[in-house]
Amino acid sequence: MFLLSTIKDTVALQPATFGTPAEQALITELNKKYANRVLHDVGLCICIFDISQAGEGKVRYGDGCLWHKVVFRMVVFRPFPSEVILAKVKSSDEDGIRLSVNFFDDMHIPLTYLPTPSAFDPNERAHFWLPTYEPPESDPDHVPSQHELLDSPVSERMYIDAGEILRTRVEADEFFDDEPGPPKAAEGVMAKKAERRRPPYNVVCSIAEQGLGPLAWWKSSTEMDEG
Amino acid sequence: MEVISARSALLSNFEVLTLLRELESDQLARTKTALRIKKEEEQSGEPIRNYQQPEEGVSENLRTVEFEAIQYLTADYQPLHGQNEASIQKLVKDLEPYELTKAEKLQIVNLAPTETVELYVIVEELEDRLGDKTVEVLDIVRKSLLERAPAPPPQVVDLLTDNMAPSFASAPTVSDPGYGQDVQATEWAGNVVYDEFVDTGEGAGVEGDLEMEDD
Repeated sequence: MFLLSTIKDTVALQPATFGTPAEQALITELNKKYANRVLHDVGLCICIFDISQAGEGKVRYGDGCLWHKVVFRMVVFRPFPSEVILAKVKSSDEDGIRLSVNFFDDMHIPLTYLPTPSAFDPNERAHFWLPTYEPPESDPDHVPSQHELLDSPVSERMYIDAGEILRTRVEADEFFDDEPGPPKAAEGVMAKKAERRRPPYNVVCSIAEQGLGPLAWWKSSTEMDEG
Repeated sequence: MEVISARSALLSNFEVLTLLRELESDQLARTKTALRIKKEEEQSGEPIRNYQQPEEGVSENLRTVEFEAIQYLTADYQPLHGQNEASIQKLVKDLEPYELTKAEKLQIVNLAPTETVELYVIVEELEDRLGDKTVEVLDIVRKSLLERAPAPPPQVVDLLTDNMAPSFASAPTVSDPGYGQDVQATEWAGNVVYDEFVDTGEGAGVEGDLEMEDD
């Protein structure tokens, strides 16, 4: 889920840092700029791996900083599509389940990627899977409705609770680059962001296949039935 | 700013964990030296000549992501506890003859599947490509995971005078062969005291896969 990206950038070193070795100072500056931030179409930057090349520091007119052209490699978090990772359930709601890997929270499972048949139990605020569902003989392809599923016996439901660790497959990821547009001159008062801002980097996951979902479901050493 | 190559190389979780831990220890060392020098400065009453103040410190973003990533990678459910560089290299080498793609090998290293169903989600068309060899692959993975160091914290070893750690990991099973009744009494007494022992209880489920006893 981690990869190395090679990036070229220009870094300004403040005069206060002239005492420390340049490599160290450059790495610190770069980490300050990139760590824990999302780079469009690259991923979530974790930290600098190393510096491949760094030019001589040049002084620009106007300030006393030394400007270096640097080519460096950075550790980036970006699971590739169809990769399987372990993630924790942060919360569930009617639209799906939110997952988190501690340092990154914008991962979710939409309803379409939950194992069939499953439903959302509003009392428990959790989704559950009903592996023992059998469609009626007259209609083998019948997809059960939420109502039918909520009538099922509680003991047969396999719940997905908050805090559980899931094995999940990454289906897709999306980058949004929301740039604030120019202030609209027509409106007197600038309307503060009324709509919810989309996360800059979003990962869509799935637990629809055999072997995916809470780790406990598939551990063969327990008596849980493997659906 | 220009992205020269968005994906120059893939890294395993273990490598990232090692890198982050190094980073963390570097930072700790630097703060310690800074504190030490500050103390000396105060005591001597004069600024130390050759020492340069480090820049205002490590960026908070970096510390946050570093801390949380280390937390995630060292969680109990991750197999990284049982890996080191040598074991991973060996695992990759041993997986050569099975014609797995790079992505599949990386996932096997990251997830360390010990069950068929786990391998099934990683490798496409498992039955067609591997068929019978599935069990071999699982065995290779299992062997590469070093025996998790038996969990007992040092205090426990004191209680169990003669009989030591290695078998302690399987202590929860009452029918453990080779233990006399009196030692068991000590073990259970030991268990009562240690809340940390809840770990072993959970660990027994996971370690059960690693130790060959279940086979």
